[in-house]
Order: sequence, then structure tokens, then C-alpha cells
Amino acid sequence: MARGMTMRIPAIRPAAFWSLLALAAIAIGVLALPGRSYSGQDREQLLASASAQHPAGTDALGRDRMVRVSAAFLLSMGGAVMASAAATLAAAGVGTLSAFSPAALGSLAMLACDVFLALPWLFLLMMVRSTLPLTTSPAHSAAITFLILAVVGWPACARAVYRGALELRKSEWMLQARAAGLRDKQIMRHVLPNLTSLLIPQFLICIPAFIIAEANLGALGLGIGEPLPSWGSMLLELDNSPMLMHTAWVYLPIALLILILLLFEGVATKQ
Amino acid sequence: MIMRLPRLPIRFVAAALTAVVGITCAGQTASRLPGELAWTIGFDPKTFDPAKVDDQESELVRYLTAGVLLRFNRSTQKVEPQLAEDWSISSSGRTVTFKLRADLEFSDGTRLTAKDAAWSIRRVLLPATGAPVAEEFLSAAGVTVETPDERTVLVHLPRRVIGIGKVFDEIAIEPADRPSEGRLTAGPFVVADYRRSQYVRLRRNPHYSGPDSKEFGLPYATGIRLDILDNHEQEIRLFEHGEYDVIDSLPPDYFSLLKQKAPNTVRDLGPSLNTEQMWFNQAPGAPLPAWEKAWFQNQAFRVAVSRAIHRADLARIAYEGHATPAYSFISPANVAWFDRSLSVPQEDVAAAKAGLAKAGFRLIGGVLTDANGHPVRFSILTNTGNAARFKMATLIQEDLKGIGIQVTVVALDFPALIERMMHTQDYEACLLGLENVDPDPNAMMNVWLSSSPNHQWDPSEKTPATSWEAEIDRAMNMQASSLTDAERKQAVDRVQQIVADQQPFIYLVYPNALIAISPRLKGVQPAVLAPGLVWNVENLRLEGTR
Repeated sequence: MARGMTMRIPAIRPAAFWSLLALAAIAIGVLALPGRSYSGQDREQLLASASAQHPAGTDALGRDRMVRVSAAFLLSMGGAVMASAAATLAAAGVGTLSAFSPAALGSLAMLACDVFLALPWLFLLMMVRSTLPLTTSPAHSAAITFLILAVVGWPACARAVYRGALELRKSEWMLQARAAGLRDKQIMRHVLPNLTSLLIPQFLICIPAFIIAEANLGALGLGIGEPLPSWGSMLLELDNSPMLMHTAWVYLPIALLILILLLFEGVATKQ
Repeated sequence: MIMRLPRLPIRFVAAALTAVVGITCAGQTASRLPGELAWTIGFDPKTFDPAKVDDQESELVRYLTAGVLLRFNRSTQKVEPQLAEDWSISSSGRTVTFKLRADLEFSDGTRLTAKDAAWSIRRVLLPATGAPVAEEFLSAAGVTVETPDERTVLVHLPRRVIGIGKVFDEIAIEPADRPSEGRLTAGPFVVADYRRSQYVRLRRNPHYSGPDSKEFGLPYATGIRLDILDNHEQEIRLFEHGEYDVIDSLPPDYFSLLKQKAPNTVRDLGPSLNTEQMWFNQAPGAPLPAWEKAWFQNQAFRVAVSRAIHRADLARIAYEGHATPAYSFISPANVAWFDRSLSVPQEDVAAAKAGLAKAGFRLIGGVLTDANGHPVRFSILTNTGNAARFKMATLIQEDLKGIGIQVTVVALDFPALIERMMHTQDYEACLLGLENVDPDPNAMMNVWLSSSPNHQWDPSEKTPATSWEAEIDRAMNMQASSLTDAERKQAVDRVQQIVADQQPFIYLVYPNALIAISPRLKGVQPAVLAPGLVWNVENLRLEGTR
């Protein structure tokens, strides 16, 4: 194998990675506890303070805040990871194919990406959400939200992949491979592994971006439907000053969201 | 890489900024003049022409500035003479006679005569004016006005109009041929200054000739400043700083907040006239599956849903206890028309399940299915920006889960919601409120007549779709034409009972009227009818002023 064909996987910060896994394990543990439900309303315990029964208190409808935050965290992370994987795969496909196509076709594909990026995506999202049937279940609304994010998130990533793939196409080892008589099919087999150093950061960067996007959509009332918890719906509590007077636990979702974003940032940063 | 994705939600930052801005703005409001009252209105008044009022803010300005022949007392709910010394209705109900007070004057000191009153009444009746109040005469084109002498006005109606006295509470008497948009009035105040998006300033009318005005030198206040502000956070903060004297219609959570900070300023007046209700879309032309329409048109289904809802929880949780469970369109605050003997389907989950079973629904694995095996699931539509409504919808979602119904809660902005509700009819159930400004059930004709576009569960029916809707039509028409109050009450009670039996509207709560009054403000007699806190504005004054 030519020297340039070795895989270069970026390093990640183990501490941030393990912290995220630990948080996910805690969240799963919280949800697995018997008698805990993210939608269960304890109507005698409204905006309750922390107790053995409700370690982070309850919200205005008597729902356990710890359970809801845990569910929102897992849902958001799971959805964002899958959406990011889908967006990265789509970007890898489009970016690589464009780079290895005739130059005019590649430019045209990138022009299409630019047009896609220029679209007022927020309004598009609002339009798509408003055309969904009113009976769309909360689980479906969550799936659709992340699907939409993947659809609007891939073009920027595709541009980066295209540039990387174009450089790869002009690299010495690629010229050597062609000169040695390797067919396109054989060469392509080595392209994606050599783009890993580009794709993994793209994938990792997309995750927090999608988490933020979902939270923002939720805050606008366009995200995941009740009673399924989401960052956006929980952050809406902060928009109400009487609520802030009741309990400091209302800040738990925003604190956790910031922590998770910082951890993802840490994971994506090279040591 | 630059991702084209949304930024972090910053509503919480906005809330903090609002607080800072609020404090900063406290110094930016127009300074208060000695003896001047101040409170807020949400938006700019659309017009100062008292004849063209059709929004809440303009209506308040008209109330504060207009001299009217009769005033509807918001506390006693009786019509009282104001510019008129005396008034009467003929036995046929078709002629209204007003005798004006002697020596009436406009705010510039010119005389007010029957000619001015007749001109003002004719003006609102003219189609070219486009006065919304003209509709209340039922057939405005046929109304004639006479002035036999300088102090007498006769209004001839083509047919009897129920509650005609109240209509004259909305007609401002202006100088004949000199409409002034509130700057020349016979009411307690006149419009003195208006800064768009900032404030409306009213000044005392020194020539005001209302009842007792000369004897006591009414109005007491030297003026009123109405700040244009649609922000409860800021309003409360400025109220605490003494910038405002009253706050009307406090949301429950802000009421509790203010109660903690200044308990002697807030009051819960009990149930308002307003209702919050949900209903199912029963329109035959709605783009819904046939089996869903069949559920919604099934009385047993509607009654079962009504029985499964824990209204006390809605009042306690969504309104923090500042609401009253509702079963009828007439609130207990409407003493004259509320039917205390009404038989209603009380909360009873077991009875709800039994009713559904009798109607052919079955519970299979915790999921309610109809006789044809369709699982019962529907969405409840409500508007964004109303936390109490969204909470109610979420509570109902949980309540109905108890009888095996899966509910999706959807909040849409008002334009999108109205589009679905009024035009496309593409919705299953809706949760909204109805604001009642008039305690007389005659004002609700537009909701109850089956031919009305506001007959929400099935708008604009060509003929009544069911026998009970036909009976409601008959009873509402009867109350509108009956000559005695007893007959009218009987007809309205019948409508209340049909509605309770059929549940076309599932009434949820009557939100309480929540108010805040500065301890400095004297003479306030809160009422549930708008303008609830300032209806006796002539008698309001700040402590330490005359």
C-alpha cells in the first residue's frame, strides 16, 4: 500500500468521551428505575423540590424532572447521532462522487449544495412541520425532526468532503496508483478510508449542532411533541420568571445541555 | 466548517434582557403629571373615532372619553342614565325616548343639545361610517331619530331589540358635524396626546356633566396615561415601582409572583364571564375519516370524554387554583343568567367507560377501539403562547389515556389555527377560550344559531343538522323575541341544559378575574365586566390628591 493510503483517525479526548458515556449510562439507569415515566403526572407534587421520590423535583405538571431530563438527553443524543451519521454518509457519497466526476459535473453538484445552503431552512422546516398530520405521534414527530435536520445538514458537510476528496484525487499516491494501472473501482476502495480523518470530525461536529437545532425547534414549538420530553420544551420553562422563582432545578436542563455540548466539543478536539 | 443550523435558544437570555430593559425603560416612560392615573394597554388603539371602534384598546379609550346617553353599570349590571336625565322604552319596544340633562356642555364649553345626540346616533347608523355598534340595532337602515325639542331625542326602531339600553353605552355623543376623534367630548376625559407605540394621554374634561359631576367635581383625576406595553414582566416591575396604578387580567403565574412580592395589591375576583372549552369537529364536510366523524357526532362519545376530564385539576394546575370548573357557557359570575339547577355530566371515569362500552367502543389491551376496530386517537389543537391552555391540553391528554384514548397535543399560531378551524376544517378537536364582554345571552346568538359561521363544531349549517340543534335555534330565537325576562330566562336555561346533555362544547373552566391595584389608588370597585377596574373612572383618585 502506498504511504498516503494509511488511515488517519483523529484522536479524541478520552475523558470527555467517557464522561458522555457515563452520563448516558446514568440516564439509562434513571429511566430503568421501576415506576418512573417521563409522562406520568404526580398532580399532588407540582413544582416540587428535590426529594427521594423526585431527586430533581417536578415540573409544573408534576412530572419527574430527572426522568424527563434523562429521556430528553438520550432522545436528543440518539437522534442527533443518527441524524449526523446519515448526514455524514450522504455528504461522503455526494462529496466523493462529485470530486471524482468530470469537473463540470462536480462544480454543478457543489452549486446545488450552495443553493441548498442558501434556502431559508427555518421556514422550510416550519412549512414541513405544519403540513404533517395533526395526529403525528410524539415518537414520529421526534423521528421526523431529526430526519429533517439530517436533510438540511448534509450540504455543508458535502462541501468539506468534496474539497478533501479533490485534494485526494490530485495527490501523488493517487497519480501513482493510476500510473500503476489500478482501475477506478480499485482506487475508490481506498478513497473513503483516506477521508476518515475528515469525516469523523464532520460527524462529531454535526452531533452538537443537531442537538442545538432540535432544542431551538422545540423552543419554537416545532420540535418533538408532548408528552415526549425535549430540550426545547424544557428550556421554555426559563422563559417564565414566576417559574424561576419556584425552584432552581428549572436550570437543570440548560446546565446539562451546556455540559453535553462542551463534552462533545471536547470529544471532537484533537489531543 | 460553517453549519447552517439554528443558534442556541436564547429565550432565557431574552427574559433576562427584558428584565434589564424593563428597569432601564422605567426611566423612559413619560413622567407622571400630578394627580394623573396610569396603567397599560397592550397595543396601539386602531382608532380614536368612537364610532369606528372594533378593538379592545380603542374601546377603552372610548369608554374613558365618551359622553353617552346611558351607561351600563359594570357592577350592578343595570343600565343607568348618564347624559340623559331620564329614558324610557315604549310598550311596543320600538321607540326609545331620552330626556337630556339641562346645561350639558362639551369639553370646549359649547352647549350639547338633542341635535348633537341625534347627529351622533345617525352617524353610527350610516353604512358609510362602518360602525360595528350599528349591527346591534339588527336593522340599522330602518332606524329613525327625532328631536322634538332641545332636550328630547326619540329613536324609532323597525323592530324590538333586546337590551337596547346597553347599545347606547357604546354611542359617543359628539358635537354635530364636528367629529373630533376624542379631542372634543362630553365624557370625563379627552384625548390630549398620542405617541405611537409609547402612550395615549388623556386630560380631565372640566365641563364634564355626568351624574354627580358638578356636586363632587368629577372626575377626580387630572388625567390618565395609557402606556402601550405588551410585556407582563415589565408591567409588573413598573407597577411595583409605582409607575402604574392597576393591572387587569393578570396571568395566574404572574398573579402568584406579585402576590409573593406585594400581597396587599392583588385580588382574585372569582370566576370571570369567560370560558375555556374544547370541542370536536362535527362538520360533515371536514376532511376527516368517516369513522372519526362518527365518533365526534356520537353524543355518548362526547359525554364520555367530558366525564373523563378532571376539571378540578385543570383549574388547580393550569390556573394555579385561579379558575373554576365549568359545565356551561354561562359563568356563575353572570348572576342573572346562570342556571344553578343545571344537570351536568359530572366527572366519573367508570361512567365514562360504561357509556363508551354501551355505545359500542371496546378496550383492547388498554386501547379504546370503535365497533369497527379503529383505535380511538385524535389531536387537540390549541394556540401557541397560552401556557394555561397548553397545560390543560396536556392534562386532558393524560386524563383520556385513562380511558384508552391516545391524544396528540398540537399548538399552532393563531393564523394557522384559524385557517384550519374556519376554512379547511382540517382538525379533530380544538381547545380555545371565549371572551364574553356582555352578560346578556343575546350577545351569544352568533355562537348558538346553527346557521352562524361561529357555530364552531359545525359552522354555517343550511338547516340544523340535528334535532337538538334545531331546539337550540328555537330557544335562542325565543329569548331574543320574548317580552318578559322570565320567558327569556326559561329559554336560555333550556339551551344550557341541551348543551350540558349534548356536550357540543365541553366546557372546562371559567378563568378567574385576577387583578392588581396600587394601595395609592382610591375609589376602585372591581367588576368582572370590562373595563373591570376602571369602569367608575370618574371616582378614581390617587391618595394625597384631591
